[in-house]
Amino acid sequence: MSREGGNQDLSETVPRLPGEMLITDKEVIYICPFNGPIKGRVYITNYRLYLRSLETDSALILDVPLGVISRIEKMGGASSRGENAYGLDITCKDLRNLRFALKQEGHSRRDMFESLMKYAFPLAHSLPLFAFLNEEKFNVDGWAVYNPVEEYRRQGLPNHHWRITFINKCYELCDTYPALLVVPYRTSDDDLRRVATFRSRNRIPVLSWIHPENKTVIVRCSQPLVGMSGKRNKDDEKYLDAIRETNRQISKLTIYDARPSVNAVANKATGGGYESDDAYHNAELSFLDIHNIHVMRESLKKVKDIVYPNVEESHWLSSLESTHWLEHIKLVLTGAIQVADKVSSGKSSVLVHCSDGWDRTSQLTSLAMLMLDSFYRTIEGFEILVQKEWISFGHKFASRIGHGDKNHADADRSPIFLQFIDCVWQMLKQFPTAFEFNERFLVTILDHLYSCRFGTFLFNCESARERQKVMERTVSLWSLTNSNKEKFKNPFYTKEINRVLYPVASMRHLELWVNYYIRWNPRIKQQQPNPVEQRYMELLALRDDYIKRLEDLQLANSAKLSAASSSPPNSSQMMSHLQTQF
Amino acid sequence: MFSLKPPRPFFRSYLLPQPQTDDKISSEPKIKKLEPVLLPGEIVVNEVNFVRKCIATDTSQYDLWGKLICSNFKISFITDDPMPLQKFHYRNLLLGEHDVPLTCIEQIVTVNDHKRKQKVLGPNQKLKFNPTELIIYCKDFRIVRFRFDESGPESAKKVCLAIAHYSQPTDLQLLFAFEYVGKKYHNSANKINGLPSGGGGGGGRSIAGSGSSQKTPLFETYSDWDREIKRTGASGWRVCSINEGYMISTCLPEYFVVPSSLADQDLKIFSHSFVGRRMPFWCWSHPNGSALVRMALIKDMLQQRKIDQRICNAITKSHPQRSDVYKSDLDKTLPNIQEIQAAFVKLKQLCVNEPFEETEEKWLSSLESTRWLEYVRAFLKHSAELVYMLESKHLSVVLQEEEGRDLSCLVASLVQVMMDPYFRTITGFQSLVQKEWVMAGYQFLDRCNHLKRSEKESPLFLLFLDATWQLLEQHPAAFEFSETYLAVLYDSTWIPLFGTFLFNCPHQRVKQSTKSYSSTLRGMPSSLKNGVISDQELLPRRNSLILKLKPDLLQHTDSQHNEMEQYFQEWFSKPVDLHGIILPRVSGTHIKLWKLCYFRWVPEAQISLGGSIMAFHKLSLLADEVDMLSRMLRQQRGGPLEACYAELDQSRMYFRARGPHDASATPDFLSSSFPFSPVGNLCRRSILGTPLSKFLSGAKIWLSTETLANED
Repeated sequence: MSREGGNQDLSETVPRLPGEMLITDKEVIYICPFNGPIKGRVYITNYRLYLRSLETDSALILDVPLGVISRIEKMGGASSRGENAYGLDITCKDLRNLRFALKQEGHSRRDMFESLMKYAFPLAHSLPLFAFLNEEKFNVDGWAVYNPVEEYRRQGLPNHHWRITFINKCYELCDTYPALLVVPYRTSDDDLRRVATFRSRNRIPVLSWIHPENKTVIVRCSQPLVGMSGKRNKDDEKYLDAIRETNRQISKLTIYDARPSVNAVANKATGGGYESDDAYHNAELSFLDIHNIHVMRESLKKVKDIVYPNVEESHWLSSLESTHWLEHIKLVLTGAIQVADKVSSGKSSVLVHCSDGWDRTSQLTSLAMLMLDSFYRTIEGFEILVQKEWISFGHKFASRIGHGDKNHADADRSPIFLQFIDCVWQMLKQFPTAFEFNERFLVTILDHLYSCRFGTFLFNCESARERQKVMERTVSLWSLTNSNKEKFKNPFYTKEINRVLYPVASMRHLELWVNYYIRWNPRIKQQQPNPVEQRYMELLALRDDYIKRLEDLQLANSAKLSAASSSPPNSSQMMSHLQTQF
Repeated sequence: MFSLKPPRPFFRSYLLPQPQTDDKISSEPKIKKLEPVLLPGEIVVNEVNFVRKCIATDTSQYDLWGKLICSNFKISFITDDPMPLQKFHYRNLLLGEHDVPLTCIEQIVTVNDHKRKQKVLGPNQKLKFNPTELIIYCKDFRIVRFRFDESGPESAKKVCLAIAHYSQPTDLQLLFAFEYVGKKYHNSANKINGLPSGGGGGGGRSIAGSGSSQKTPLFETYSDWDREIKRTGASGWRVCSINEGYMISTCLPEYFVVPSSLADQDLKIFSHSFVGRRMPFWCWSHPNGSALVRMALIKDMLQQRKIDQRICNAITKSHPQRSDVYKSDLDKTLPNIQEIQAAFVKLKQLCVNEPFEETEEKWLSSLESTRWLEYVRAFLKHSAELVYMLESKHLSVVLQEEEGRDLSCLVASLVQVMMDPYFRTITGFQSLVQKEWVMAGYQFLDRCNHLKRSEKESPLFLLFLDATWQLLEQHPAAFEFSETYLAVLYDSTWIPLFGTFLFNCPHQRVKQSTKSYSSTLRGMPSSLKNGVISDQELLPRRNSLILKLKPDLLQHTDSQHNEMEQYFQEWFSKPVDLHGIILPRVSGTHIKLWKLCYFRWVPEAQISLGGSIMAFHKLSLLADEVDMLSRMLRQQRGGPLEACYAELDQSRMYFRARGPHDASATPDFLSSSFPFSPVGNLCRRSILGTPLSKFLSGAKIWLSTETLANED
């Protein structure tokens, strides 16, 4: 290759973010599972792995943020026989594997392996995550998107029944909760402290959302610490009653325990449990049968098995069924629909919890809020929803995703947030005009859930983020999305106020999100952009063009008219009319 | 704002929006509402009052009270009550909300719950009990249930027997089409032939380039075939008239197309060797000269080789490059009609009849085990392979099937939908149905089982529509029509007004009816356009196909399969040329269930204010707006907008802005089932209540005659 040695020139062609540094590059063979081995040059920076094909008939480019890597394995040894038997096998968090073959002589892979290990798993090497090195500048500050006081004000809070408390200002009451909490007006901070002793990890019931008209609320928390002996706590009981009474409802408070009842019972053994009928007379509890993080992780693994690298062909539907992925999606959606229905019908306020109240609980409250409140269906509204129900309320992103951590088999990892985004996608699919954002927006969020380019999803809770000064030291993902909004807009979006969306949570309508889960397979990829969407955009452009030409025409006409006669032209009136009617 | 024309004996779009100025209109019909709306020639044969139509199974609170009538065309339920949950703004021009055409009835079950008896009613059967309940299972997947608690027991029984009798006629001539045609055409015979445009255009103003001003060729005449030869640029082929008066074969059209090198005299001799005397006939030609030909088996074993050779030589001779012939034996490569019917029966059971919640858990594997999607996929895949042969290998393709009247219809039409953009227009698609199904002798009478006694029932035509839907779903911009059009076309196979889908072959139709008959496909359902494609773009541009032809790279020694794979891969890696070939992706993730068609009557599966119709609605409004603006521009004047609205072609799009002051708010009646309403179909639970399967405990599976016949 004549290009050999032209390192600096070549590195120019590798995209680099401000703050991104080239670490090493190497000639490798990329074993593409779809098109076979391709010779290429791989560049490793402190942010990404970039591969460019060196073959003339292939324009292949791989651009993989190192954050997406979950595991790096050496394959073959120096003495392995066979073509392409020696190299690296990389498992990614986004349902693909990358395999590179290298020359066998001279430990050629050592350098690449070590660079990858170091920069894909910086935590083990006392290195910072790339987000802290990223010097990107955007014209919008994504960190300004979410301001809890403003969001609660939008909901009409505080009001006569609910107050904002700063009891958790220094994360003393609960270190995994946000600083700002909304609680019943009548309950004192001392009461809250006593309630906290009876809730797992002090995650007390606090308000997530209030219905603007009937004033019923969605409240979230963790499980009560009932234990084997069936402990009771008067303060907790009183507190739940206070929540029930905020909207003067006569009926019982509805408690949705997201877990299967068996799991809830089993939790008693470790000190947890659920609200019993005896202790909570004014509450009605039902279980939503959503399984735990381990079940979800295994289910996604099975999905990967049937879609990567090859899509199971002969028994696609039954294979898909056996992953249970869609069944889990269905249960989560069904749960959220029940929450939304209770609240929107004004039947009763709802309290949602699972075990710790940071996985299934976040799924349920945020999905129910998405169904109930059209504000969350806008781009910024959705960002606020994620920021509030997931990030601020301590969904353990760091543990669930394992940012920069090499322990790929960590039992804490689980695709809970992915599952939530999948549910949102199912809703998008069922209601093509209800969301301001498009599928690409969701895929972008998921890509940066892993990438470590932005600070948005780093760390487990607000207190940790504050300690690390994430807001000062990193860029927010919303800076990227909000400065490129056009790219993420759904052209069919029709703004609607206060329509509750009830998706049909039936296997007849739920689909595997092919454009996400099978996006690496060129044979499965669906047409992008969607032709109907494309046609709509073309028509929009055509309309604007026609309107402009008509305007010009009418201006010319009216000029002629006013010159020729005395009748007053009304073309400007007419044009404004024409632009607003649709 | 605009006037509805009275229904004509045309298919037209029989779904039309109701006039919006309903103040006057809706108060008027109320007075005569309990009178059935009858078509010319339709007579009421029996009726019973105080009938309850069940809406939900767990409660009677939504039930409707009214009169049940049986006419020689339909059963009709006439009620004063408004629909419980939905005011439907779109209506069927021929049928009311609660009407079921007799030909659409699949099975009639009468129940007496006091005596715990039920019976499937066949024709001319006796009923020993007075029914308290009547359940009608329809071919279009609806289930309708009536209760007779308050009606006279004798009249209830009579109406059930009447329905059983009239829905299971013993003779083709007893079908309503013959009554209807007689009356209607007699009165206005002159109008029919004089119609300039097939009845689609509104008000005679034709839009330049619009599909709605084109007439669907029926392929009954020499000239239709001749035009098709010219349209496709097929040299080396000629129209042959030897079957005039059906002298040779009763299941071939009078005119068909054969290789120019075969003389009439030879064809006559050969014809004796073919099953049904169905000698090979031409379907279509690619611009590169490769032809698609259908052929029945040669039954004469001695002559087989010789005739086969002669035919193949003739086809080769007709190819400008003298290319070889590729033969595709459909009987060996595709599922047969019995298997397809079995899959369909399972699909139907799964979609409609089992309690909704119970089928949820194993939905995907149950769907797979019906094998319906597998068959859809098999046909698409096989057709795509033939596209490869025709386009890339430059080979003429001969479809071989024993009689050549079933699988061949499906494969021949799918290949043409994929290859020729003309067949993706409404007119083109209809002409394709006419060419490859009606005229080619697809046995609609037997396969649809209109006389309800045939063992030959098989839903091949539906399978074709389903496969077309898959193509439409994957390439929406390549089609002029929408999925609603396909669903409506399917429904019209169960409406015995149209001669199109009533007969086994053209000869039978001519024999059965010396009168004129109506044709489903003549009319123009222009309101079913899909809006994705614009008229100007759609004019078949044959040149685009020619341009696509690549230099011949075909002499590789690779195995054919690899080449074909490569061809498909290459095709999918490029942007789709909407005016060229479209190919289906056929992996398991791409072949989907056609929800609109199969779920439209299932209330639990309805997404209210959801589904793709929501985006389509917006697209329609925008398309009309753009159209209006372009008219204004063309006329180069800035007149008042109202005038332009008045000019808007009324049958242009499904949804249209009704005037300059129309708020474009989303209509509240839209749903994933639109324009069909599941309300009034048997709902297995009240829409808002919890699932109950009270009623269906007695009818858990699709009732089979064997299990129930003995139960009375």
